[in-house]
Amino acid sequence: MSRLHDMGGRFGNGPIPLYKNENNKVEDNEPTFKYDWHAKAWAVTLAAGALGQWNLDISRHYRECLPPKDYMNFSYYEKWLAALTNLLVDKKLVSLNEIKKFVDLAKTNNLDPELIKNIKLDQRTWLAKDVQKTLGWGGPSLRSTKNEPIYKIGDDVITLKHNPNKDVKGGHTRLPTYAMGKMGKVYSYNGSHVLPDTNAHGNGETPTPLYTIEFKAIELWGTSAENENDLVYLDLWEPYFNLNTE
Amino acid sequence: MNSKENNHSHHDHEHDHAHSHLPSDPELRVKAIETLLLSKGLIDPNTLDELIDTYENNIGPQNGAKVVAKAWVDNDYKKRLLEDATSAIRELSYQGRQGENMVVVENTPEIHNVVVCTLCSCYPWPVLGIPPTWYKSDEYRSRAVREPRKVLSEFGLNIDSKVQIKVWDSTAELRYLVLPMRPIGSENMSEAELAKLVTRNSMIGTGLPENVK
Repeated sequence: MSRLHDMGGRFGNGPIPLYKNENNKVEDNEPTFKYDWHAKAWAVTLAAGALGQWNLDISRHYRECLPPKDYMNFSYYEKWLAALTNLLVDKKLVSLNEIKKFVDLAKTNNLDPELIKNIKLDQRTWLAKDVQKTLGWGGPSLRSTKNEPIYKIGDDVITLKHNPNKDVKGGHTRLPTYAMGKMGKVYSYNGSHVLPDTNAHGNGETPTPLYTIEFKAIELWGTSAENENDLVYLDLWEPYFNLNTE
Repeated sequence: MNSKENNHSHHDHEHDHAHSHLPSDPELRVKAIETLLLSKGLIDPNTLDELIDTYENNIGPQNGAKVVAKAWVDNDYKKRLLEDATSAIRELSYQGRQGENMVVVENTPEIHNVVVCTLCSCYPWPVLGIPPTWYKSDEYRSRAVREPRKVLSEFGLNIDSKVQIKVWDSTAELRYLVLPMRPIGSENMSEAELAKLVTRNSMIGTGLPENVK
């Protein structure tokens, strides 16, 4: 079974929330951050991530594991912040009591600037002088391995019917439900990449061949497909599908 | 009250939600967490400023627009871009976080490409910056794969039924950039002038470049 984040193809969502100008033309100049707190939530999440206590897949999984009610009610950056809070406590960077203390201080408008004056930075802390360098490196998921891809371009494949994550119930995976049990074709091979299914649970990077798989819209959506010629492409790891011998 | 003891392994945290203690006002929530981390020296305040300044001023769709304009005027560059987008984009010094493995997909009179991330909000940061609100919305994430034509029509983009739509769902760490078609009448424009025609949405596939005036 899936979680709420796995929403591709879901019915019930309304019009795309777009800003239109007086001529009813879509505005394409939204500011980077709409509110200061969006910018802060985003930057604090990046800076905390740089402490090295979790990886990208773990932080994604924490967002996905928010209770359904919260996942639906929270705006985008509220999800980030909630997941970050849970990570900070689980990874013991802060304690629950510290969270409660600072929440009380915030609520009563008592976050004294003295609290953050002349603080000695932790050895792991991401320094401003290293920001550009670290951003430029990024965090590539491509790994150099001796893996030989099993499949070749043009192979007919069929995806698994269920969550490919065999190790963890309800565990992280990047095979969306809408593409489970579907026939597709290998479009390209992209080398071996860190496998989110293990990496999200701290069970190692397990570099695994990654392919781009082409699906016909009519295979995914049946008679609801808009046009029989339309295609959908997904980037899927080798264990997510099998050769389709039918 | 949460009566269940949290005695699960670290990755099964479904019963233990520290975030439920946060105040309801998101601004206060951020302030509380930020101040706590600052007081413990776990984040450097200058790092936050540097990050926000970088993505507000230096990293955004203006970068992708330069890539597209260059591909429009330089056929060799376009060829490199379609074969190995990561390297070709790095030629313009755009690289790194959330753009480590780039793929460029080309619009033609027969094919229109659209990019989405149904599982979260994956987006090519070095060339497009931080994704706009609609890209991160449930509406776009749920509908773009199933009814791309209807979604595009809400953007004012009506795709002829003879044109094939290819939707790219960014389920791994490959990041997609759409190379839109060069606008009609732009033959005599310089690379810098062309870059100004390239909109953010045209590089996601939910828009077209500006018309030549």
